[in-house]
Amino acid sequence: MRKTMNHVWRIAVAASLCVSVTACSGNSTPSPSGSGDASRGATTSEIRFWDPYPQHAAGSAWDTHVKSCAPAGSTIVRSSAPQTDLFNQLTTAVKEGNPPDIVSLDNPMMPEAAASGLLATAGQAGIDTSGVDENLLGPGIVDGVAYGVPFGSNALGLYYNKAILDQAGIDPASITSWDALNSALEKVVAAGAKGITFSGVTGEEGVFQFLPWFWGAGASLSDLASDEAVSAGQLVSDWVGHGFAPKSVVTDNQSAAYDLFLTGEYAFAENGSWFAAAAAAADFETGVIPIPSKAGGVAPVPTGGEFAVAPVQTTDASDHYANAAAVIACLTSGNAAMVTSETLGYLSARPKTRAEQVAANPVWAPWVASVEGAEGRTTELGAQYVEVSGQLSQAIQGALNAAGDAAAVRTAFTDAAGI
Amino acid sequence: MGARSVRTGASAVEEEMTQLARPGLPVTRRRHSTTWAGIAFAAPLLAYLGLFYAYPLGENIAMSLQRFDRGTFVHGGAPFVGFDIYREVVGDAKFWRVVAQTGSFTLVSIICQYSIGLALAVFFHRGGFRLSTVLRGMFLVPWLLPVIVSGTVWQWMMNPDNGVLNSALGVFGAGPVWWLNSHNALMSVTIANIWLGVPFNLVILYSGLQNIPADLYAAASIDGAGAWQQFWRITMPLLRPVSIITVLLGLVYTLKVVDIIWIMTMGAGTSQTLATWSYGMAFGKGASTVIRYSQASAVGTILLVVALVFGLVYLALQRRGED
Repeated sequence: MRKTMNHVWRIAVAASLCVSVTACSGNSTPSPSGSGDASRGATTSEIRFWDPYPQHAAGSAWDTHVKSCAPAGSTIVRSSAPQTDLFNQLTTAVKEGNPPDIVSLDNPMMPEAAASGLLATAGQAGIDTSGVDENLLGPGIVDGVAYGVPFGSNALGLYYNKAILDQAGIDPASITSWDALNSALEKVVAAGAKGITFSGVTGEEGVFQFLPWFWGAGASLSDLASDEAVSAGQLVSDWVGHGFAPKSVVTDNQSAAYDLFLTGEYAFAENGSWFAAAAAAADFETGVIPIPSKAGGVAPVPTGGEFAVAPVQTTDASDHYANAAAVIACLTSGNAAMVTSETLGYLSARPKTRAEQVAANPVWAPWVASVEGAEGRTTELGAQYVEVSGQLSQAIQGALNAAGDAAAVRTAFTDAAGI
Repeated sequence: MGARSVRTGASAVEEEMTQLARPGLPVTRRRHSTTWAGIAFAAPLLAYLGLFYAYPLGENIAMSLQRFDRGTFVHGGAPFVGFDIYREVVGDAKFWRVVAQTGSFTLVSIICQYSIGLALAVFFHRGGFRLSTVLRGMFLVPWLLPVIVSGTVWQWMMNPDNGVLNSALGVFGAGPVWWLNSHNALMSVTIANIWLGVPFNLVILYSGLQNIPADLYAAASIDGAGAWQQFWRITMPLLRPVSIITVLLGLVYTLKVVDIIWIMTMGAGTSQTLATWSYGMAFGKGASTVIRYSQASAVGTILLVVALVFGLVYLALQRRGED
C-alpha cells in the first residue's frame, strides 16, 4: 500500500512537472527567422490555408477553388475567421511557432504585420509580385520590401436605385460633386423615397467607408483636424440631420447597410464592388457611379481586398515557403486568377487579367476607374495608420451623432485622440 | 467502566482498520503517509488552480507592467516599465468617464434586476394565478437565449427609424428616441442588460421564498398583519441571506459584461465600460483599432481588483451570517 501511495505521489509530481514544463515552453518565443527559401524546400502533404471569409463555407465555390490549387500529393486544409480575429490568431500562431502556410490578410494590416515580424518576404516565400498595379501592391511593401501579393482588389462606389432616380428626374451621370449629390438626395427625399445608406460603424469598416469623402474633400490622414476633414464629417453628419441617411448608420456595418438598400426604399448606397453581382440580381434595377469628390470629379477610394502572404516559419521553413509559393502562384496567376477574382467578387490586381475579366463580365465596367484610382490606406502613414484610423473612427462617430450640428462635428474631429 | 469499555472498543476498531489498511505497520508511519496521500489527492486541484487561475493572473499582471506591442508580444523583449501603463490608463481623458459609466451601468442594472426579480418572485410565490407556471417558464427565456440573439434583437427593436420600440412610443404620442446614439447608448444597453438579468434574480429569489415557512405568514395574519407588513417584516428579513448572494453575484457578473454591450454598440459613446474598453484594446477591435495588450491588461487588473473587493464583501457578509 505504501508503495502504491508513493507511486501515486510520484505520478502526481511528474504530471505537475510536465504541466509546468509545457506552460514554460509556451512562454519561449521563437526569434524572427531570416532563413528559409521556397526554392530549397519541397511541398508537404498537408498545407494550411487561413482566410477571412467565413461566409464561404466548406464546399462553397471559393472553398473548392482554393482546394483545387493543392500541388500534387498535397491537400489544403482551409479555415476562416473574421479579419481582426484572423490577424490575432496569426499573431499567436507565429508566437507559438505553428503558423499556417498561407494567410489571406486584409491590406491595411500589412505594414503592422510586416513590422511585427510576422511575415516572410515575398522573395523568401517565392511569391511573384510582377505585373501588379503599384497602388494595389503599395500596402504590401514595407521599407522597400514586398511581403505578399494582392488576391485582387475591391473598391467602393455609389449604387443607385434606377426607378427612384427616374421618378425624381435625376440623371445619375450628373452626380459628379457633393453639391450634385446633395441636391439629388433632397429631390428623392422630397419625392417620398429615402436617401442613402452607408456604414458608419465603429472601427476600420466605418473608416473605410468614410475615406472617399475624407480624401474627396482634399483632407489628409496626417491632419484629422483640418477644415477639409471637418467638411467631410459635416457632409455625412448633415445626411443624418436632414434625414437623408438612417440614424442606424452609427451601428450599421456594410452588410447591414447593403440590406437596407435591398429593401428598395433607398435611392443610393455607398458600398463595395463585392456586392456588384448581388446588385445585378436585385428585384429592382440598379446601377453604380463612382463616388464624387467635393469640388467635382471622382474621389479617391481606399484600396480594398486581401494580400496572400506566407507567415514566418521557424521549423522546416523552406518546405512551408514552398507550399506557399505553389498555392499562391496557382491562385493568382493564369486561368485560376480569373476564377479567384470572380469568386471573391474582386477585380484582378493585374491589368491584363482585369481587362479579360471586364470583357467577360460587363458588371465590372463601372468599377475599373475606381480600382485604378484607389489609394492605399497605409501609403501615407505605414504602420501608424491603424492608430490614426482609431481616432478617425471616433471622429466619424462623433460627427454622425451630431446629426448636423456644425460645432459638435468640428469638436469631434479636433478632439479625436487618446486610446 | 462503561466508558472504558467503549474506549477499548474504539481502539479495537482502529486497530482492526489499521490491520486492514496496512498489516503489520505501526500507527505513526500510517499517519505520515496519510499526509502525503492527502497532498497527492489535493495535487490535481492545486495544479488546476495554479495552471488556470494563478498563472494567467500572474501573466496578466506581468503584461500590464511591460510595454507590449504586436512585435514584442511575438518575439519577446517588451521593456519593463513599472506602473507607467497604469498611469497612462488612469491619466487618459476618458478613464474617469468610463469608470462612471461602468458604475452607473452596474448599479442601475442591479437595482432594477433585483426589484423586478423580487416583485415577480413574490407574485409567483403567492400563487392563485392559473398561468403561473407557464409565465414563470416564459420569464426564463432571456436567460436561455444566446446573447448574440437577444443583443441583435434589442438592436433591431431600438432601431431609431423603424424600430418597434419607437413605434410603440409613437402610439402614446411620444417622439422617436435615438436609442443607440452616443448619448443614449448607456441607457439602452442598461435596459437590455436588466432584461437579461431578471430571470436569474427571479429564480434565486423564488427558491428563497419557498424556504420561508408558511406558518409565519399564518401567524402574522392572525395577529392582524397586512400584506405590506408581512412583506417588510417577514419576507425581506428572512430573504436577506439569499438577497445578499443574488446582489453580490449580480454585481460581479454585471461589472464584467462585454457581450450584450458589444453586440449592440461595440462600446460606442456612453456605453463604453471598463470591460468593453479592455476587450477592445486586448483584441484591437471597435474604437481601439490598435492592439494594446498592456493597457488592456491594466484595465483588466483594475476591474479584477474591484470585483475582488465585492467578493471579499460577500465572504465577510457570509461569515457574519454564519456566526
